[in-house]
Amino acid sequence: MPFIDRIRKYKSLSIVGLEKNTGKTECLNYVLRRMAQTQTQVAVTSIGIDGERVDLVKSTPKPEIYVEPGMYFTTLSRYYLEKRFCAEICEVDNDSAVSGGLVTARALEKGKIVLAGPSDTVSLARWVEQAPLKWHVGLALVDGALSRMSLASPAVTEAMILTTGAAYSANMSRLLGRTRFVYDTLCLPAVPKELTGRLAEVVRGVWAVDERGELKDLGIHSGLHAQDVAKIIHSGERRIYIPGVVSNTLLDKLGHQKEVSGMELIIRDFSRLFTEPDVFYRFLKEGGMISTVLQTNLIAVCINPWSPEGYHLNARELEKRMQEVLGLPVYNIKRLEQ
Amino acid sequence: MKFGRMTEHIDGLKYLVGKLELSGSRPLRYLMQTPFCTNRQELESGYDILQSALDLVLDPTRLSDCMRLNHLFSQIHDIQGTLQAVADKRVLDEIELFEIKYFAFLCSDFSSLLNDMGFTHEPLYPLNEVTAILDPDGTGVVSFYIYNSYSQSLAAARDRLRGTDPGEQPGEWETLRQAVDKAELEVRDELSRRINNYYGVLRENFDTLARIEIWFAKAYLVKRYRLVRPEFIPDSGPEFLTIEEMFHPHIADALEDSGISFQPVSIRLEKGPCLLTGANMSGKTVVLKTVSLIQTLAQYGFFVPAGKARLTVVEELFLVSGDRQDPLRGLSSFAAEMLELNRIFAAVKKGTCMIVLIDEPARTTNPNEGMALVSALADFFTLHRTTALISTHFGDMNLSCRKLRVKGFTSQSAVPGEVNAQNINKYIDYSLVEDMDGLVPEEALRIARLLGVDASFLELAKKYVK
Repeated sequence: MPFIDRIRKYKSLSIVGLEKNTGKTECLNYVLRRMAQTQTQVAVTSIGIDGERVDLVKSTPKPEIYVEPGMYFTTLSRYYLEKRFCAEICEVDNDSAVSGGLVTARALEKGKIVLAGPSDTVSLARWVEQAPLKWHVGLALVDGALSRMSLASPAVTEAMILTTGAAYSANMSRLLGRTRFVYDTLCLPAVPKELTGRLAEVVRGVWAVDERGELKDLGIHSGLHAQDVAKIIHSGERRIYIPGVVSNTLLDKLGHQKEVSGMELIIRDFSRLFTEPDVFYRFLKEGGMISTVLQTNLIAVCINPWSPEGYHLNARELEKRMQEVLGLPVYNIKRLEQ
Repeated sequence: MKFGRMTEHIDGLKYLVGKLELSGSRPLRYLMQTPFCTNRQELESGYDILQSALDLVLDPTRLSDCMRLNHLFSQIHDIQGTLQAVADKRVLDEIELFEIKYFAFLCSDFSSLLNDMGFTHEPLYPLNEVTAILDPDGTGVVSFYIYNSYSQSLAAARDRLRGTDPGEQPGEWETLRQAVDKAELEVRDELSRRINNYYGVLRENFDTLARIEIWFAKAYLVKRYRLVRPEFIPDSGPEFLTIEEMFHPHIADALEDSGISFQPVSIRLEKGPCLLTGANMSGKTVVLKTVSLIQTLAQYGFFVPAGKARLTVVEELFLVSGDRQDPLRGLSSFAAEMLELNRIFAAVKKGTCMIVLIDEPARTTNPNEGMALVSALADFFTLHRTTALISTHFGDMNLSCRKLRVKGFTSQSAVPGEVNAQNINKYIDYSLVEDMDGLVPEEALRIARLLGVDASFLELAKKYVK
């Protein structure tokens, strides 16, 4: 299996679905199974969002992950207690302020489990960093999500696999365009190394960054509300760091200023950008620059030609065209499994 | 009064709580529940424990032990809910059983470390039997699951389940799985029953660890601020308290941030009232705040911010700072103050041993009646031999009680232009002197001038000074 070798170069990996039902869970289960076959010890968790077993939007069952014996997994204690296989509890973390705390256990048998792990970036980053040391695993795996609902960013892992497919759009061009857009946001340049640590510590507010890398609090809560957007525009600052969500309105307004050229917007990572592709590309075209604090390596894209409504795209064509658009390896997990 | 409520009343107390190196909300919860201790023996034995912790904290050869101890404190889980489940005799789930096992292991780590360090106060109960219950195979590993060795029928049920494929024989698998669930439940029920016998020692150890952590946090605070152990005065003589070189950590830290050092002040109080006078900005309020902070800290088992402190153990401490309004109850500051004083009078009449600190009483009413009220306070406290420190701007009241005055502006007082709102305190001597004549310093206009208040306005004011 080609991309498993690439995964083994990294200590941590997240699998991120561009949309629900794009085959993220299949991809994750596939990776878990292959890692078990290659004798790589794995710890797995998921970004905690809602904790509902049934996804209310589309009423499909919340995916359950299959763990193999010897694998470590971290989930909410109430999901842990629902499991129906034998596992050994290794750690309980009550500090995360999530209901009942998180349990990390080692599977003693094969079994399925609902995963819901750390729900903020700092806790998730700590999990990713500590898992290899604490549990002596070769790979820390994160079931990621792109959602405004989640405060945690999958970009804390070294490597990433993106899953996309017909669930996002049954229109192939639209799907390709959207995936290309996410790919472009993932490829945004990183801030200079000496700035990374300082910026990563800041998790809220709006800040001006001067040429020496000094931060100045602009006293603005976030970039979300209309009055905040107006304040950011009026501040006249040319290099701005927004650790939280960057909205479409904000980037649109920034892109419509007189002097966009030379302006730099620093974001925490690609998952904080909630903008339309045209707004994003116009900002860059006008000479604006967007850079990121956290960066991750996209190593593959997996596609699921089936949508939950039963509609499907031509898998081979999708695979081929996606590969052309992205210049990255693209896999159809369903076919790999056959 | 519980410590938590006291932090709302005594200025500077909350600040010191923030400086305590506690591992989280669990020990803080215990600290906030600490009662105001009025038993001298109890306080003395607490100070002995604090002194032992301090000796360890100050000993450079114990540095790594102390760091390890702090690390262990941070490893304690808040198992309040689990302990409650044990107390309620509920069947514990796997996670709760893990928590108990983890706690028992941790207690044994604590015991051996504290033993090595020679800290023998507050010993922990050994939990070997609890460990044995939750580590049936004696692996010494903290992880936990419902081990096969607990029950032969569980082991057999698991074996049967393992031989069945849930995909191919879902019905069969479900039946066998339910048999495993049932066998596991039986084991958990049995384990819970056995653990319940140890509820008392588990609870006691959980509480003890919080107390030990608080002693060490207090010791670090002593180190940080060079606090001293207070001495207690026997009830026989006239002396009530003597504090040398006292300081207020919160104010001292704030001043230090602006490059100014806090001038420590000494004070001696005898039984009965004492008036405190001094110019505006001369630090009368700070004296009251610092004395109340020191008395409070001492009676919650802390060392105190001073060079030396001799105190009397009181049953109650009253601090009245007249600016407290209670608009929700529709009270003006005057009314709120009077009602608070009335509470004190009631306590005085009950014969409560107390110290009363009142900042400028009756300042919000007319000077004529205001003076009458202050004089009456002095008389009342003299009559009942109640120790009270009362700051005031009213002078010439012909009272026979003791009076202290803040020295105030030094003789080398600077000319305007050199002094301003930022550096004015450099020209003030904050020390206290016995005041024989009872005249209050009239320096309000001078200070206003130094602060740069409009000169024409001050000229107008000058005309009215008698």
